[in-house]
Amino acid sequence: MVRRILLVLIFVACALVVVGYQATRPAKSASSPRVFVPSAQFFTDFSPSFRTTIADAYWLRTVQYYGEHVTGDRRFDSLWPMLDLVTRLSPHFVRPYRFGAFALLEAGRPDLGYELLKRGHDANPNEYALLTHLGFFVYTYGSNPDKDVLAAEWYQKASELPGAPDWVARVAARLLTKGGERQKATMQWAQIYGDGDQYSRDRALVELDSLLPVDPAARQREVAVLAEFVPPYLFDEFSRALLGGD
Amino acid sequence: MKCSFAIALNTFKETIRDRVLSVIVVFALAMIVASLWLATISLEQQARMMKDFGLTAVTLFGLVVAVFAAGNLVRKEMEKRTVFFIFSKPVSAAQFIFGKFLGLALTVFLVVLGMGVFLFFVTWLVAGEAAGSVLLATLLIYVQVVVVMAVTVFFSTFASAILSSVLGVCIFIAGQLSHNVLSLTRLGDAEVLKVLSWLVFIAMPNLAAVDAKPSVVGEGSIAWGHTALWLGYLSAYMIVALLVAAWVFRRKEF
Repeated sequence: MVRRILLVLIFVACALVVVGYQATRPAKSASSPRVFVPSAQFFTDFSPSFRTTIADAYWLRTVQYYGEHVTGDRRFDSLWPMLDLVTRLSPHFVRPYRFGAFALLEAGRPDLGYELLKRGHDANPNEYALLTHLGFFVYTYGSNPDKDVLAAEWYQKASELPGAPDWVARVAARLLTKGGERQKATMQWAQIYGDGDQYSRDRALVELDSLLPVDPAARQREVAVLAEFVPPYLFDEFSRALLGGD
Repeated sequence: MKCSFAIALNTFKETIRDRVLSVIVVFALAMIVASLWLATISLEQQARMMKDFGLTAVTLFGLVVAVFAAGNLVRKEMEKRTVFFIFSKPVSAAQFIFGKFLGLALTVFLVVLGMGVFLFFVTWLVAGEAAGSVLLATLLIYVQVVVVMAVTVFFSTFASAILSSVLGVCIFIAGQLSHNVLSLTRLGDAEVLKVLSWLVFIAMPNLAAVDAKPSVVGEGSIAWGHTALWLGYLSAYMIVALLVAAWVFRRKEF
């Protein structure tokens, strides 16, 4: 009996040591903005059968990396190598191109975002969203004096693809009209909101908030105009976020 | 042939009752369900993540089941001396090896297919996508696993169960990398090394020539002609491995 009690006590003591040690470790260690990212060629040579699995594992790691640093030190030193690896191992995986282009904006590298989208378009020529994003990047971050025309060309190409929504052709047409730079910008952020993931939507709302007029009546009028670029099921949420109220 | 089927049936009954097998299968199913968690942090890519990580789990657990069962397959009969009873009847070494292999191949088929069907339904329920390509990929994974199993059976005719299983895992890894053997010596001048690397390239099963996972996750499509050729190659490789195993086994003295 005494032996049994002793064994139970030893078990409980050891269990407490195990749990106590782990529970007192820092919950989250500061992650480095520089992480080791092997080349895509390395993985293609040494594990061809698990190419897409490795791409997916790195995709999860990229999302985590972005999340950690966008809410922390805002350093994204390894973001581009990670996105490069994922898209080279899995060139038809479209989401990393779209997410990556916008995430690279946070890293202050719209040029790399544009390059990533172009590579995505080369690998997936039938994805209209990559083309609309290219148009958006050219217009919003390009320095070319003819950026309206260049962006309109991307939108025009996108509108010719099967499955492209009607608004794509309208954006192309509006970009070719003179003046109204702010309206053109709001229109494009609205289409990013309508066509993007949660992250893109959040970013679009921040940009639209700064672009739209402060005056409530004028703001309401402009938001109403943007309805044509946002799907009906998202519009209530969209207008609530920009106009406030329930 | 009748003898082989009788041995196969007996091996199937014996291996399917193995508790270790059930534990591994439960663990594999748990891993597939765990891929749901990965899917939630994938930024709206649930279906892709579940299929890709799920098929990887099917491959790895299918491999574990196959090599550890195959490592024991012949060795256990020799250690328990039951092989004497079998060879007291008109059964040849080749019939014995083929029978044991067939029985285990059927067990592994049920295990791998079970995991594939489970993955199919989980993907369907969670991501709303009935991906028949998952089942097709599972069958191709099964063929790869069964080839490794045949080589492990060959090892088990002369090595211990653990060593055979470890060598089986090594063959799987080597089979994924076999194409690198030639490229390592391509630029050198040493002809002997080139010949040796060519021999290694021929001796290792080429398991990486066809991979169904990319087509399952939308990365291109399966080249049917190439796949059929590859399946023919793997079947031939498997038969060669079993014949060599039977030859080695026949030379053993009991």
